[in-house]
Amino acid sequence: MPGDSPDSDLSPEEAQLLRLADDEFVLAERYTEWQIYAPTVESDLALANIAQDEFGHARLWYDLIQEEFGYEESELVWERAPDDFRHSTLVELETPEGDWADTVVRGYLYDVAERLRLDALADSSYEPIADRVPKVQGEESYHREHAQSWLDRLTGSGESHDRVQAAVNRLFPYALTLFSDTEHEAEILDAGVRTRPLSDLRSDWLDEVVSYLESLDIAVPHPADTERPDAVGRDGTHTADWDALHEEFTATYHELGFDEPATLRGENA
Amino acid sequence: MSAPTGDACAHTDYEDGEVPEGFPNTGAGATGAEAEVWAALAEVEDPEMPVSIVDLGLIYDVRVDGDHATVEMTLTYTGCPAKDMLTNDVRCAALTASGVRDADVEIQYSPPWSVEMVTEAGREQLREFGLSV
Repeated sequence: MPGDSPDSDLSPEEAQLLRLADDEFVLAERYTEWQIYAPTVESDLALANIAQDEFGHARLWYDLIQEEFGYEESELVWERAPDDFRHSTLVELETPEGDWADTVVRGYLYDVAERLRLDALADSSYEPIADRVPKVQGEESYHREHAQSWLDRLTGSGESHDRVQAAVNRLFPYALTLFSDTEHEAEILDAGVRTRPLSDLRSDWLDEVVSYLESLDIAVPHPADTERPDAVGRDGTHTADWDALHEEFTATYHELGFDEPATLRGENA
Repeated sequence: MSAPTGDACAHTDYEDGEVPEGFPNTGAGATGAEAEVWAALAEVEDPEMPVSIVDLGLIYDVRVDGDHATVEMTLTYTGCPAKDMLTNDVRCAALTASGVRDADVEIQYSPPWSVEMVTEAGREQLREFGLSV
């Protein structure tokens, strides 16, 4: 990334928090799209609940960024330009029409990475992060259980197995961007904000997801043979799916004129 | 299932049902304006259960400095949809104490709240409400 990027002003704490908060927020946005469309009432409720958890975590991290670094929620969420978001492109991809396997696979790939990341933040030198991690960890484990219980069922046979395989093939290159580093990686580690490098988390993640998916008779592409997507998210490059989603979730904010100063009735009449 | 383990996280072992020392804080021993704030907070109920937020163990600390009150509290759940309503109720309750003109509410997640932080009185009310605690 060029040295004159707007990101060079970010402290390592802010840089770590932004990628964390943005991942949770954008994934939650995608989960909510299943509301009323999920295959069963039970799974609709489960996804609603997982989305609520992820929104809660996004709020917790955005609140912290506001308290510690002097931002307003409007700047962080509603008025931030799409290419200033730092989430991985995995979480922004549009779900292929009605493809439940895609959501389950994405949830699984993300949630394993999420656990590894939180573990590496639990002993952060930055106390406001370390303080909040246990609460978030306690609300994450059933997300993995949910994804795995669906994967176990879907990979049983036939079309659902093929759909899981197709989703893994499609999502795997994007999942690798979860671990893409930025110009801040060295500072984040030097300052002890995160206690393990992204490359270590990536290797643990690969060990876990590859062996689990293979146990379900799902082939996982080899990372070395995997072409990287052009858009990795962490550096502000995003897919066209993100532009559409960003426009959608900020639409109400703009429609209500929250970005315009309030005027009194009769003013400028 | 990976609950925070000693290795992964040295900050808490709430999954084992242990309550960190000093919790729940119920304001016993508070005096003056701080005692008044605690009494006012005891009247605030959780939006989902007819139990005082003090008995639920949600209030971590109350400080009154001059005419300014600061209430440190937690939420049972990070995704609590009633966060704004609850913090507003808490702020308004703190403002009823004599001499308090201004109040702030700070949300904390450490230590993470667990059902173990509910007081004995709170447990009794939860049982009456039909929850098994």
